[in-house]
Amino acid sequence: MKFSVVRTKFLDGLQKVQNVVTAKGSLQILSNALIVAEGNQLCITTTDLDISERCFVECEVEQPGSTTLPIRRLASIIRELDEGKILVEVNEDDVASVQSGSSYFKIIGLPMRDFPPVPATEGKFCYRIDQGAFREMLRKTSYAVSLDETRRVLNGVLLAFKENKLTMVATDGRRLALVEHEIEFPPEADVEMVLPTKAVSELMRILGNDGDLKIYAQKNQVIFELGTTTLSSKLIDGVYPNYRQVIPGVCDERVVIDRELLLSALRRVSVVTTDKSNATRLTFSANQLTISTNTPDVGEGRDTVAVKYAGKEVSIIFNPEYVMDPLKNIDDDEVVIEMNDGHSPALLKCSIPFLYVLMPLRIS
Amino acid sequence: MKQRCILHVDMDAFFAAVEQRDHPEWRGKPVIVGSPPDQRGVVSTCSYEARVFGVHSAMPSREAYRRCPQGIFVPPSMEAYEEASGQVFAIFERFSPLIEPISIDEAFIDVTGAGLLFGDGRAIAEKIRAAIRAEVRLTASIGVAHNKFLAKMASEKAKPDGLFVVPEGRDAIMRFLASHPVGALWGVGKVTGEALERAGFRTVADIQQADPAYLARVLGEGLASHLRALSFGEDARDVETAFEEKSLSREHTFLEDCKDRDAVREVLKGLADEVGRRVRAHGHFAAVGRLKLRWSDFRTITRQAPFETAVCDDFSLRALALRLFDAEPLVQPVRLVGFGVSGFCAGRSEQLSLFDDAPEARAKRERLCRTVDALRDKLGDQALGRVCPP
Repeated sequence: MKFSVVRTKFLDGLQKVQNVVTAKGSLQILSNALIVAEGNQLCITTTDLDISERCFVECEVEQPGSTTLPIRRLASIIRELDEGKILVEVNEDDVASVQSGSSYFKIIGLPMRDFPPVPATEGKFCYRIDQGAFREMLRKTSYAVSLDETRRVLNGVLLAFKENKLTMVATDGRRLALVEHEIEFPPEADVEMVLPTKAVSELMRILGNDGDLKIYAQKNQVIFELGTTTLSSKLIDGVYPNYRQVIPGVCDERVVIDRELLLSALRRVSVVTTDKSNATRLTFSANQLTISTNTPDVGEGRDTVAVKYAGKEVSIIFNPEYVMDPLKNIDDDEVVIEMNDGHSPALLKCSIPFLYVLMPLRIS
Repeated sequence: MKQRCILHVDMDAFFAAVEQRDHPEWRGKPVIVGSPPDQRGVVSTCSYEARVFGVHSAMPSREAYRRCPQGIFVPPSMEAYEEASGQVFAIFERFSPLIEPISIDEAFIDVTGAGLLFGDGRAIAEKIRAAIRAEVRLTASIGVAHNKFLAKMASEKAKPDGLFVVPEGRDAIMRFLASHPVGALWGVGKVTGEALERAGFRTVADIQQADPAYLARVLGEGLASHLRALSFGEDARDVETAFEEKSLSREHTFLEDCKDRDAVREVLKGLADEVGRRVRAHGHFAAVGRLKLRWSDFRTITRQAPFETAVCDDFSLRALALRLFDAEPLVQPVRLVGFGVSGFCAGRSEQLSLFDDAPEARAKRERLCRTVDALRDKLGDQALGRVCPP
């Protein structure tokens, strides 16, 4: 195999797919990228057995072929090289020589037959959505994913394609974030899947602002195709909890708050909380919200925010991080908080089809 | 900083002394408070007359009987001891509010600020000893020094019925400590003691003269500098008046070593309930539970695990205790089983959950336990019991 490639293009391609590779894998072949030179392009593939990523890089192929090379080392070398053309030649023992200007490297690879097979983009149906819109949906929900591995099904984001819309949900059992986006597909293509966290963060990294995203749902896995880049991921098995059931229906009280003001007040007050003791009290009274906390051996904090509120006084205790998370990830100037009392879930909404359910803390 | 003045007061053979006070016919005789000699269990306290025979506290009662068959074995009457203890502590309070109780019969008192009213440390110690003798008809030994460690060493030296004031000045203090065995230093237990012994340290003088670097190699940096400081009589600990209990536990020694898992489980449930009641009485929530098992050859193991969230109900305590126990194979018959909790917090904030009502259920169980406590307080412990297993 022999090809020459422009440094920036090669580096771009390698950096796009190298994140999937685990730093300390148990299988050496998983530290390598599969590189196939064919036609006038390179196809670079990485996998950790759960997620695979593939991209194409334009190049001049002198002699088609394939090999696998340690991607992190290869990328580090290409990053350090001067701008210009890079000539890569791989012999039948999978040893690559990399030559550019005055630099020369020899890198030991592994044969491609050891590389695990990567799923192909096929499926009975392909959903199409704008890349930027999909990334925004992930941003508005993914922070609520559970990190507790005892309930695997919550370690990912639910994608529900149903009734001509995509509903995305994430929850750790304490709070739940949900966002919806209308897209068109036939009713027989209704499907639900739970996308693992690693795939979510990788997608958020590679998704652009515009351009089409194609989603191929397959049995136990899903494939995302964006331009020349493809990401496929295994899905989390299991039944996602009935999230509709925990969204409060009618709430007695409704408050309108400036998002930035609320966020900065919470940031300030939460400075005097600790991981162990983070209970922060939000007291809503006529046109005023008082945020206060009292941490033993640390200190106290209190702040007030002007709000639009005419209901009865409600005092409710939250983990402030859980209130700040959605505020950091939506862009509206104003948010609405709906609640009933101090011990039932509160609801945070904004102008888009987004909602966030948050359970309070109980002090005993 | 002003030189502090700390008293360490230790009642002499307290339980035995109370018994002898209340039973004049036992005075001058070996009185042994604790388990009867024909049963499992140990000596709690013994009179000085019994100590002559080599009897000491924590010795199995059978062994005590072997050494001193003429001994008068008395079961503890805690109420009498608690009453006497209350009187003694009331006397301390006349001299200083800064009292750190160590046990029912032992305390540190910081009298630094009491000098103008009552005189120096020696004078105050004399007054306390006289008051205890006159009002409670018992004897106490008191050590006087400028810190807790030295005061405690001094009261040991003063025993019985004595008073010892640690001399002033670094050289005098070093001489006072020099001949003590290393085991007298606070923090030296069995393991550290053995390590020191192997490295050739036998007395406090050996520590005083040790090359600090060598000592650090033997014990590690932290412990080495701690012991060196103590060997020169330095100890900055304050007299802690608001003493917080850091753990609560209960244990049970079987009359016959127990091979029956279910029988041990039953005892363990009872212990968990007792611990739970005390946790609630203190208004605490506990974060960690600990199981203790002693096999028939006296080997002891402990196993601990955190609760999901801080708890105080018997159900959660029992569940953890049994989980820890069930994970342990019975390699030998069980001599002793114990259960304790630690990691206390006075309040608890609990994140409620969207999908399960565990926190609600726990709150209900806590209310139930508190109600049972209240009924038992009012009607007696036997008024209400559990019928079904958890």
